[in-house]
Amino acid sequence: MLFQIAWRNIWRNKSRSLVVISSIIIGIWAGIFILSFSWGMYKNNINESVYRQLSHIQIHHPTFGEENNSKFTITNTDEKARQLESDGRIASVSSRVISSGMITSPTTASGVKIYGINPASEITQIRLNEYVREGTYFESGKENEILIGAKLAKKLKVKLKSKVVLTFTNINSEIISGAFRIGGIYRSKNISLDEVNVYVHQKHLRELLELKPSESNEMAILVKNEEQLETIKKFSVGIVPRGKIEDWKELSPELSMIIESFNLYTYIISGIILLALTFGIINTMLMSVLERIRELGMLMAIGLNKRKIFIMIMLETFYLTLIGTPIGLLSGWLTVTTLGKTGINLSMFSEGLASYGFSSIIYPALDQEKYVIIVTMCLVTAILSAIYPAYKALQLNPSEAIRKI
Amino acid sequence: MAKTIIDAHNVSKTFNPKTIPVHAVQDVHVHIEEGEFVALVGPSGSGKSTLLNMMGGLDEPTEGTVFIDGVEITKLSENKLIDFRLHNIGFVFQSFNLIPVLTAKENVGFVLQLQNMPKTEREKRVLALLEEVGLKDKINSRPGELSGGQQQRVAVARALASKPKIILADEPTANLDSKSAANLLDIMAKLNKEEKITFLFSTHDQRVIRKARRVITLVDGKIESDVEQTPS
Repeated sequence: MLFQIAWRNIWRNKSRSLVVISSIIIGIWAGIFILSFSWGMYKNNINESVYRQLSHIQIHHPTFGEENNSKFTITNTDEKARQLESDGRIASVSSRVISSGMITSPTTASGVKIYGINPASEITQIRLNEYVREGTYFESGKENEILIGAKLAKKLKVKLKSKVVLTFTNINSEIISGAFRIGGIYRSKNISLDEVNVYVHQKHLRELLELKPSESNEMAILVKNEEQLETIKKFSVGIVPRGKIEDWKELSPELSMIIESFNLYTYIISGIILLALTFGIINTMLMSVLERIRELGMLMAIGLNKRKIFIMIMLETFYLTLIGTPIGLLSGWLTVTTLGKTGINLSMFSEGLASYGFSSIIYPALDQEKYVIIVTMCLVTAILSAIYPAYKALQLNPSEAIRKI
Repeated sequence: MAKTIIDAHNVSKTFNPKTIPVHAVQDVHVHIEEGEFVALVGPSGSGKSTLLNMMGGLDEPTEGTVFIDGVEITKLSENKLIDFRLHNIGFVFQSFNLIPVLTAKENVGFVLQLQNMPKTEREKRVLALLEEVGLKDKINSRPGELSGGQQQRVAVARALASKPKIILADEPTANLDSKSAANLLDIMAKLNKEEKITFLFSTHDQRVIRKARRVITLVDGKIESDVEQTPS
């Protein structure tokens, strides 16, 4: 009977109950949307870093990372790349020659990181070809072709076909200069990297650095299934025994920190939304209790004990939550599913976002685990919010309650 | 000799004892026997509702003791008192008598459900009670769909449901028209006569007073007169 009374009680004041239900729905929906949007943004950023910059695994000479000197190389990388690629779990492998230096145009100069790449293998690795906005992706056939970022081109005041000079030290610590012609200008989603990274033919850079054929500074591996990352790392040790093998989380600790901080972010955002929800529920249920003081007094007088009164008030809140939660959850899930496919276009802010390495189209996404957290927190909040109004009802003295106007 | 059903000894009730004390009931002694039909009368503020509440275990006296059917209810814990009321006392209030979200049948059955009466037996008794108060055709109506008089009759049926020893009614006819009030009083008088249920009313309604066989008059929280009469 208590279940029946509580259920009917919530429909006595339909508008008020619908306001509470709506606030629960909006609360859950907003929580899911904000978290999925943020996670979509971070995930995009992580994917951008992994698939367009770092790859899943990188192998270097153990000293290369510390000294950042091109003389620390991995030998025979062509053969090693072939061996790695022969493993079915690996999607692609590429080797890179890397040096740091200066790029000089007729008007100005800038510090750059020079990547000597094999254009063909990078098409399946960092897919730089997709970012080319002007010119072509190493299609001229000339060995001194260079691909630079749009921001760097603007800084250097150079255009397509302009001549630039790269200056760097070779492995013998001699200063080397090489003239290059801009064959393509690219624009990635990370403007800050566009200003620093330049790409040239690997063979040409290797010659300028005086490295032996098939000597590289970096081997990058993309795997098919990220869950197999650890086993592939172990497999790579067998092929490059003296190399330092690191996955993307080790190469870019800030990315793994993003994932960890996102979990904290989940609780903070949910907490803020639920705090607002708490006050809404307390206010409504308190009003509902105060409006029924005489009725509650009558119930106590005819024999309904305080424990049952408490349960009745708690049940009323529970029912409101039970109606609001699945609707909020469903609408949140539908929003995430739909926008996860179509994406949210933030192109009007893309300049600002790109400078932080974020894409202009955000695809909201949320793990199932986060849905469970939001729903659990919402249910717990609703129950906790009902305690105070129910407690107030327990404080009533039946005779005083009946006398109340 | 009739059995004593209510025995209130030197009962006093003071509201706001620490600030501005209001002595609602002062040193009252009331002795009511089984099957009596008593009207507690007096002007507004005379303390009749307070005395009634104390005799029904809804309010605790500041001083004195109340015995119902030999049980000293002033010594019972809150939960035991609620349970005692459930099984021994029926209440009819002036207004807000029924649970608005339940039908007449459910309102009457509510008390029986609290007593854990089996469903079949409960339904049988509820129908019999509603028939007795003349509302057999309104069993599925909610309080909002019933007139004031009909609501009070449902309240009487509910008060009777647990087969209480006494029924306490606080101004039961205050919001009723003459016809409804007369009808309600007839039902109560019949139940009193046929089932020997003790009725105690707080009222200043002459229609109720005329029906009572005993009239206790309270003035300023004290008993001014306690007389027996022949009901008209």
